[in-house]
Formats: sequence, C-alpha cells, structure tokens
Amino acid sequence: MSQTRQTTTGETEEQIRDEWLEYDFEGETALSVEDLDVYYGDDQALQSISMDIPEKSVTALIGPSGCGKSTFLRCLNRMNDRISAARVEGSVEFNGENIYADGVDLVELRKRIGMVFQHPNPFPKSIRDNISYGPRKHGDLDTGLVARLLGRDDRDEEEDLVERCLRGAALWDEVKDRLDDNALGLSGGQQQRLCIARALAVGPDVLLMDEPASALDPIATSKIEDLVEELAEDYTVVIVTHNMQQAARISDQTAVFLTGGELVEYGDTDQIFENPQSQRVEDYITGKFG
Amino acid sequence: MPRESYQAQLESMQEDVLYMSEVVIDRLRLALEAMEQKDYDAARDVIAGDDEVNDLYLELEQDCIDLLALQQPVAGDLRLIASSFKIITDLERVGDLAVNLGEYTLDAEHDMFPEVDINTIGDHTLEMLEDAMVAYEARDPDACYAIADHDDDLDTLCENASQSVVRDLIETELDPDESDEHVQALMQDVSRMLLTVRDLERIGDHAVNIAARTLYMVENDDELIY
Repeated sequence: MSQTRQTTTGETEEQIRDEWLEYDFEGETALSVEDLDVYYGDDQALQSISMDIPEKSVTALIGPSGCGKSTFLRCLNRMNDRISAARVEGSVEFNGENIYADGVDLVELRKRIGMVFQHPNPFPKSIRDNISYGPRKHGDLDTGLVARLLGRDDRDEEEDLVERCLRGAALWDEVKDRLDDNALGLSGGQQQRLCIARALAVGPDVLLMDEPASALDPIATSKIEDLVEELAEDYTVVIVTHNMQQAARISDQTAVFLTGGELVEYGDTDQIFENPQSQRVEDYITGKFG
Repeated sequence: MPRESYQAQLESMQEDVLYMSEVVIDRLRLALEAMEQKDYDAARDVIAGDDEVNDLYLELEQDCIDLLALQQPVAGDLRLIASSFKIITDLERVGDLAVNLGEYTLDAEHDMFPEVDINTIGDHTLEMLEDAMVAYEARDPDACYAIADHDDDLDTLCENASQSVVRDLIETELDPDESDEHVQALMQDVSRMLLTVRDLERIGDHAVNIAARTLYMVENDDELIY
C-alpha cells in the first residue's frame, strides 16, 4: 500500500522509509525500537515501528489524535503492561537489552525511564516529600526512622537531593522558602515542574513526556519548553505533543505518526518542518490533512 | 480542505507577487523603449512609476510578515513565503534600476558610442526576468537552471560592451583645441554608457536570484542561491 503513496521527491514512501531507517544522528543510541506492533484486543494500534532514539537530545512524536504516538511512548517503559487488553510484539532495546525480555525488573526499568503526564499529578504531600518519596521507596534514601535507629542524620542528603532536583526542574528559586508547603498549593506550571523534579529524583536516563504543557498557560508552557531543552543536556527526552510549533521549537528529532499507527517519517526536526519527504507528512504539518 | 482561509491567503500572496512582477516588467520594458527611441516622456513615466512599485513591495512585505507571524507556516508553505519575501526585494530593486535607465535617457544628450548594442542586452535582460517569473508561477525547476545559464551569456554581452566603450574612449583622439565642455560631455557619455551596461547586468543578476529562490521553493534545492 505504501508504495503507491505520493512523496515530495518522486520516490516511493517505501524508499523514503528505507532512507530514514538509516537516519544517522549524532551521538549514541539510547533506545532502539525494532518492528514494534501493539494491539488493543483485535485493533492494531501500532504497525511495525522501527526507530532509534539518540541519547541526550529531545525527540518529538507528533501526529493526529489516535495515531498511536502516546501508545508508542508508553511502550518505551512498558506502561502498556498495565492495560490488560494491550499486546506488544517486537523489541525495545535500552542500553542494549530488550525491555520486553522475560525477567526484566519493571520497577528498575521505570526508575531509569521516567514519565511525566499531561496533567500534573503531584502527591498531596509537601514539596519536599514529593521529591524524596521515590528515592525513599527505592531505598536510595534512608527513611527518617531508619536514620534515627542507626543514629545517622540523613537530612543533609535529603536537602541536597531536593535542591538538586528542584534546580534541575527550574523550580528551586520559586519554592525554596516553602518546601514544607503542600504541593497542591502550587500553580499548574509549578506542579508540572515539580513532577519533572520528582521524576529526576530517582536518577533516570530517559524522560518520557506525554503532552507535558498542554494543560498550561503560555508563560508556564515556555518555562517547560526551556526546561526540556536544558534537560536534554543530561537526559534523553522523548516528548509527545499536539503542538507542532512546540515540537519545532524544542526538539532535535521529530517522528511523525499518522492515522493507523504508522510511523511515516522520522528525521532531524528542521528537515521535517522545512522539507518533509512524504506528501502525507507535508499535508499534515501544513494543515491540509483531512 | 482545512485551513481554507490560510490557503486563500497564500494564493492571494502569490497572485500579488505575480502582479508586482508584471508592473516591474512593464516599467523595465518602457525604460528600454524610452532609451532606444529617446522618448523623454516615457522615461519620465518610468521614474514617476517607481512609487507604485515601492507601495506594492511594502504591502507584500507586510503580507509575508503577517503570514509568518499568524499562520506559522512550515514545509512547502514556508518555502513559498520565504522565497516570495526575497523575490519581491529583487523585483523592487529591478524597479529602481529601471528608474536609473530612465534617468540615463533624460541625461543622454550625446550619442558618442552608437555602436554599443544596448538594445540586445536590454532584450536579453527583459527575457530573463520574464522567464524567471514564469518559472515562479509554473514552479518549474528546469526553467530556473536555464535562467542561470542565460546569465552567462548576458555577462559576456555586458563585458564586451564595457570593453568596447573603454576601447573607443582610448582610441578617441581629442583635438587639443577641443573645449572643456566637449571633454566633459564625452566623459559623462562614457560613464552613462558604462552605468547602463552595469545596471542591465544587475537586472540579470536579480532574475537569477528569483530563479534561485524559486528552485529552493519548489525543490528545497539551494544550488543556485550561492
């Protein structure tokens, strides 16, 4: 079917696909996806997706509603395992190991590949506890009780962690004087940055973001966008967005999914937005789709 | 099709660019005719008509800025707007150069170098500009390359013409008793002729620029730009 699709270069979509499958980005590969199919019951949500995601950069996933981009994002840390009707075939390699292999520790996986959701969802706890909760649960930070029993004071360690993560999420200056206030008292944009700080607290390599700014006003959105670009210096960021201008502004690579769960084109963001190879991608990003 | 209003604005902008090019090409044709026929009224019309070209340029510039700011164009649409933005600048400059030709015509009281074939150079230049705008309208990449090739011929014509003027100047034997006024008129004639050739050659360069931006617009190919 894809062979008959029109392209902007006169090649077939299959030829274009072969070209971008060889897409050569700078840096090392963080995640390597190979022939990924996802089914919800009898419906196929993703069709044979293959792509490599480079480390320490921002990769944007764009496409119309229902194209499978959020499904794809959730596959990257096996969040779809929580949906009983979902079935995943193919492989996703992270640091050279298939995360869908038997015996993978999902808690450890999601520690390394964190997620930030569309709507901020801080715990109804203090700002400080939102950050330290994860590391305490994982045992990376002693609980106060253990510390007291051992006669050790872990306050310094916790303070360092909280400050480092809040600084990493560009929130420290706004909340440093009220770390014991309830996080639900923060604005939407601050709550979202707190969720990012919370994700950073467990020491991830990859951050998956599902429309992280779509519920925020323009000022809060611009802060998240700035933050995403800064985070990419240390983390691999994969972001789903409906906002194509946002993808154009902040991402290094863009993958375009279209209806039917197809990854139609993947490449450098400037190439996708200035000179897409697929006519369907051109029609989608210029708004002629439909 | 979604974004109908946006698509209509893009089409309207292209039509306005083509209209501006028609106005500029008419001015250039009139300037060349005025020069050939020593038609001073026509030359004055060319000079007076520059305001219209400038107004069209400013309107189109604003249209392009509005489209960029309000519609956030990408891909082919972005290249269309970016190319058109550059092309109207070239057209505006051709309008200015046509004014120069009109002024040279008004200044030309003497014809000391009649053998310089300005008409052939002018026709060649006019044809290149027309071809460039046809290529823009038809989105024709082959035509863009052809215009770049024609520019080499134009450059040769212009170089030969300039050399001819300088050679004639060197070979002109001035009578020691000749008046200062005659010498001054001769010098003005030489510089006017050289400026005419230079301006026509520049119009050819603007036609190549238009072809280069058109090629980028159609095929994302910047080969002719640099």
